[in-house]
Amino acid sequence: MSARIRGYSPFTEIEEVGDGLFRLNMGPQHPISGQGRFIVLTDGERVFDIEMDIGYSHRGIEKILEYKTFVQGIVPVERMVMLDTSNILMGYVGAVEKVLGIEPPPRANYIRTIVMEINRILSHLYALGLLSESAAWNPAVFLWTTADREPFLDLLEMLTGARWSYSFFVPGGVRADIPRGFVERLRKTLDWFEKRIEVYEEAWIYNELFRMRTEGMGVVSRQQAIEWGLAGPNLRASGVPYDTRKNEPYAAYGELDFKIVTHNAGDSYARGWARVEEMKVSVDIIRQALDNMPEGPVKTRMPPRPKPGEAFFRVETGRGEMNVYIVSDGKEKPYRVKISPASFRNFFAIEMLPKTQEILLADVPVLIYSFDPWFLDADR
Amino acid sequence: MLNEILSFINENFQTLFMISVFPGLSFVLGFVIFAVWYQRKYLARLMIRMGPVHCGRRLGWLQLIADALKLITKELIFPKAANKPLFIFASIMLPVIPAAMIALIPFAPGLVIYNASGVSLLIFFAISTLFPVVSVIRGWAANNKFTIIGAFRNIYLDIAGEIPVFLASIGVMIWAGTYDLNEIVIQQSGMWFVIPQFLGFIVFFIGFLAMIEKVPFDIPTAETELIYGPNTEYTGAMFLNMMEADYVNVLAWTLLMITLYFGGYNGPRIFPDPIINGIFWMITKLLIAITIIFTIMISYARLRIDQAVRMGWNYLLPLSILNILLTLILKYIMFGGV
Repeated sequence: MSARIRGYSPFTEIEEVGDGLFRLNMGPQHPISGQGRFIVLTDGERVFDIEMDIGYSHRGIEKILEYKTFVQGIVPVERMVMLDTSNILMGYVGAVEKVLGIEPPPRANYIRTIVMEINRILSHLYALGLLSESAAWNPAVFLWTTADREPFLDLLEMLTGARWSYSFFVPGGVRADIPRGFVERLRKTLDWFEKRIEVYEEAWIYNELFRMRTEGMGVVSRQQAIEWGLAGPNLRASGVPYDTRKNEPYAAYGELDFKIVTHNAGDSYARGWARVEEMKVSVDIIRQALDNMPEGPVKTRMPPRPKPGEAFFRVETGRGEMNVYIVSDGKEKPYRVKISPASFRNFFAIEMLPKTQEILLADVPVLIYSFDPWFLDADR
Repeated sequence: MLNEILSFINENFQTLFMISVFPGLSFVLGFVIFAVWYQRKYLARLMIRMGPVHCGRRLGWLQLIADALKLITKELIFPKAANKPLFIFASIMLPVIPAAMIALIPFAPGLVIYNASGVSLLIFFAISTLFPVVSVIRGWAANNKFTIIGAFRNIYLDIAGEIPVFLASIGVMIWAGTYDLNEIVIQQSGMWFVIPQFLGFIVFFIGFLAMIEKVPFDIPTAETELIYGPNTEYTGAMFLNMMEADYVNVLAWTLLMITLYFGGYNGPRIFPDPIINGIFWMITKLLIAITIIFTIMISYARLRIDQAVRMGWNYLLPLSILNILLTLILKYIMFGGV
């Protein structure tokens, strides 16, 4: 059944899909859509279905990697999530190291841990800013978080030479040792940042209207979170204490003591809250890594060719667990690289939620950004 | 013919001056330009950034005029499915309604464009009820999913906000014993009505935020889901009109709030001339009020439409009725009669 309004045009057609419902096209040119599209089935306020349309930014990174040597592959892999490059890169570099059969020296592991945790803070700050912006078109918190990323970006520039996409991790270690003055500056920045987290909590996380918008909305139960394969802070906000850093430690995480942030509510508020708490944990991890940093080289020699074989590596990125699987046929290029990113699994929950509970149209942006979506990550 | 026109102008010079310069057209347009500039600069400071800096030195005051010129010279695009006459009508009509409301506000002793012989507050509310009607026309005429959803949200919100605002100002009417805004201001020369009418003021202020559609009640133009609500399809000069309507609406309601609760043009004597003194205090109070509105804009999230409507009907409406009862009792105790 389709009833059309006078003056038909393909772009503004209002087509009824039975019972007065119609499909609302959010994206790919919409304030909240990003590089994707959400087709929302709605009666004007209530939402009955969200259909995700991803793939607008598919770049074929897995295929590109088959034509690059193991070291050259670093650059395309980083492009998956520009905010979170070192965590993404760790997955690839870790898998390559397994294929090549080499171990990075312990000091390199600690430097990697520090860079990855700084990256996690940067990623969570951005996610928090977007969540606040989606609850109201109010970019204040977004701009505060963007401004607060600057000191960390400066630190990364000091360490790696670039603010973004620094290609700092290479198979067998990291490219450079810590420069003079870096440790003191990082410690000072962390002290300052802990105070900033308190400001966010006061201004936004404990804000009454923000809680009204997010609490009890988009609840993912513990069972659903496991069934739908959620990842990262979204999974932990539903009360599942799963963190790859703890369950299958890589880099220096096995030698450090930190807690897994969990929340039992599983709603949009819990997902935002979990990110703030994880930033605190990251600060703690960086401090421990600085205290326990061993001396020694930061890089081992890398063999030119691997033995034929395969390797699987999992890593906890800012958006959840990412799996990398590499098959090598003994040449200097990989035979096949398969990447399973976290955002792709998180998107599945956005599709499933309106089927299980009542979501309003105004909740859609908050719901989407509470999962911290990253289309480039899902599309690869 | 020319003589007749000249003599007409001579006879009605004061009224014509008030309509065209102050507090009429020029003042309203000047306020819109100032308010947009002030909002951009003030919010920018709160967001750790600069705001416009290129046109007009560092203050960026020319930016708004440049933007307006750009919008006027742009092509007007009409959606194929739109109802063109209604679409244009709404864009012209929308800024006119709040501007007509301003004609009833006294800016100084005797300085009011239309002296409505004792019922100006009622006429103010009568005109204000046209706003949602035209707002629905604009959304419906554009014939787009986003605009229609925005237009209907506008109705829900205005009904939920309007009734508490009316009932809260009935408290003021009872306390002052008159519908006349002039008379209400004169009675506040001793004490502002915000003190005896505090509960009513709180109800009025929340309903007021809903009427001017600012955060946390910018639900009809919710940019995160509806792009720009009922205004989504407007371009060029018509878009400019929509922006203007938004700010003129803020101006009209803010002036009403000052007149009802904050003593109108009353204030300590700074200038010897009572008219200039009145205008000075009116504008000072206006600036303080819009600063508070802009600060609220940046501090809060937007409510959902169901939460806003529930707030209006479940909390504001009973509170405003309670306020009327308390006003009656208080007036009976203090003055021995109503």
